[in-house]
Amino acid sequence: MRKVALITLLILTCWFASDWARAADLKIPHNAVAGESLTLATSGSGDATLILVGPGEVVKRSIRLGEDVQIKPEELRHAGRWIAIVRGGSGPQSQAFWVSPGKPDQLSFLARPSRVPVNRPGVISGVAFVFDKNRNLVPQPTPVEFSLSVGGSGAKQSVKSSNGIAWVKSSSARKAGAAQFVASAGDASVRRVVQQVASDPCNLRMKVEQKSKDHVVLVTDPIRDCTGNPVPDGTIVTFIETDKTGKSVVDARIKKGIARAEMPASENANVTIAAGVVLGNELHIGGGE
Amino acid sequence: MKLRRVLVLTAGIALALSGAIPLVNHILADSNPPLQIKFDSAQPREVEDSTQQAIARDYSAAWKALKTSLANNATAPLTENFTGFALDRLSQRVKDQQQNGITTRIIDHGHKVEAVFYSPDGSSLELKDTASIETQVLDGSTVLHSDKTQMHYYAVLTGAEDRWKVRVLESAE
Repeated sequence: MRKVALITLLILTCWFASDWARAADLKIPHNAVAGESLTLATSGSGDATLILVGPGEVVKRSIRLGEDVQIKPEELRHAGRWIAIVRGGSGPQSQAFWVSPGKPDQLSFLARPSRVPVNRPGVISGVAFVFDKNRNLVPQPTPVEFSLSVGGSGAKQSVKSSNGIAWVKSSSARKAGAAQFVASAGDASVRRVVQQVASDPCNLRMKVEQKSKDHVVLVTDPIRDCTGNPVPDGTIVTFIETDKTGKSVVDARIKKGIARAEMPASENANVTIAAGVVLGNELHIGGGE
Repeated sequence: MKLRRVLVLTAGIALALSGAIPLVNHILADSNPPLQIKFDSAQPREVEDSTQQAIARDYSAAWKALKTSLANNATAPLTENFTGFALDRLSQRVKDQQQNGITTRIIDHGHKVEAVFYSPDGSSLELKDTASIETQVLDGSTVLHSDKTQMHYYAVLTGAEDRWKVRVLESAE
């Protein structure tokens, strides 16, 4: 009889202990998504305090045990690991849960460089970071489309993001101008401008425009790169005259597509022309020229 | 008599351990976490040696700052090591913790990190981190939650004035 009473007492104690332990039990869905509402189910009875500790916020509120708790979308903005703590009459009960990022909604797009010579292979790079509407990185592979165009013509590339990042390397176009570099994923689209400028001059040629006793005026043909784009005004062209007295150098800027320089007259001199690393033709002046 | 000595000795050892373990944990929590980084998988360009050293140093410093900030509810350490979304987010967390009277103690047992992306212009780098983390949420000295788990993190670092700063730090399942 005594044994039966002891066993009954033991069972009752265990029952009470388990009930007490479940007093503030939490049930959290496994598919929580950042920026969406979430319902937490609680068991037990009485008043308690719910504390949610997230990657970028802490939410604290009073709840009634046994009732569902609604977490608003704006309270659950950050993806990652969260901890839910319930402080009731018994000791605190806690549970960790995961919140995954929402759908891709925003892109951070870096286009480099901002200014680039035309007709250069693999010189432009574009990097797109894929985020949801709450700026959580979306690591799931997402198709990102990159397009680079100047004056209506251009190229498109579709790339799947990896670990939240998609990137491309692209060649500059043959035509100078402001290239529109666009990255898009779903409804999100970000535009950057890459200024494509003429490359190095091609077929740099000069001639004598005017010659007098004291000086000679040299002028170039219109200066263009190898794909026919005019080299921008302001680019420096160097004229070098060499004779027996030494060397005269004039750095002239391209103005309205041509460069002009006035050199001292000489009876017998060679004149060369260069722009950057590109050499042009050579003239011999004086001595019967 | 011998039994009594053994009991006293055992009690002494237990007492010493009970004091030493939290002390060791505290020291470990304040020091830089053990960090192993592999840069072999970085795409689309290789990470230079000097950048590898800088990333290891600065990512480790960022974690140390994160632990200090969450444990003391101070935002100052964050601003030196985080920027952009990560800074906004963690600063808000610290402010919320302060407002609600809680702190978070992170005991960092180490990181196995892999660099997966290094931008063509060298301005940003992404790390995938598998970290062994012990997390305690405290209200004063009362522990509200404690667990130890292996976490995966995505971290995007960008070059700043004199160091790499963490721009994105996101845990994932």
